Amino acid sequence: MLGLLEHRDVALRAVSAACKLVSRRPQPPGLNDFRMHVVSAVGEAFNNIVLHSYAGRDDGVIEMEIRTDPDLITVELRDYGESFDLDAVATPDLDLLPESGLGIFIIKAFMSIRYRPGRPNVLTLSKSLANEPADSSARGNPSEGDS
Amino acid sequence: MTFSISINDAGVIRLSIEGELDAVTVSDLRSEIEKLLMRQIGRVEVDLTQLRMLDSSGVGALVSLYKQVRARGGEVVVLGLRDQPLAIFRLLRLDRVMVGAELKSPTPTAPSKHSS
Repeated sequence: MLGLLEHRDVALRAVSAACKLVSRRPQPPGLNDFRMHVVSAVGEAFNNIVLHSYAGRDDGVIEMEIRTDPDLITVELRDYGESFDLDAVATPDLDLLPESGLGIFIIKAFMSIRYRPGRPNVLTLSKSLANEPADSSARGNPSEGDS
Repeated sequence: MTFSISINDAGVIRLSIEGELDAVTVSDLRSEIEKLLMRQIGRVEVDLTQLRMLDSSGVGALVSLYKQVRARGGEVVVLGLRDQPLAIFRLLRLDRVMVGAELKSPTPTAPSKHSS
């Protein structure tokens, strides 16, 4: 798909649907949080590619591959724009209420992340449903990442 | 995303945001917030009951609103958080500074409706 923010919704709908395939049970414990976290992380990754890797270009391409295994989802995003250094992204000081620089933090909190710069740049995000506690939204407990 | 702004008799501004507040839609909200900040600000209630999706761009707009209103001596309270937006608020620890204890019923007003 083209690397446009307007196409992000399509990508996230596919990711959300794929989250249901990681378990044979229709509504396993933790699935709601699992799906919210995966969709949030992939959305931020998509934003980063559009806004930073392609930086305003409207002809960039994002290739997305979703793999599901029992209790595991892996989302691979490939782009042909500028590479970035994941390790150079500082952890935001949340006490200062930052208004930007939160995308990578959200991704890392919600999913495991690997990045291989090159052509294409390959960002691989994965998350295990087995590590997910029962849905925190129902209990009112804070959500925590698994990476 | 759609949003509406209403002001009750006590001067409390209620900003209700529905749908998705993200990198695609946030610019519409930011421009409306700029207009909002031109008036005298006391209390701003941000009703997110109908918000389905919030990303870091949307968070940036809400935090900006919070900081600017606070700088003018006002207060911002976020109401009605649930599901994915609540998960983002908790992760970023925004629930400690911006979230109201309960969703209060808005005073009937004639809201202006916007959509994108």
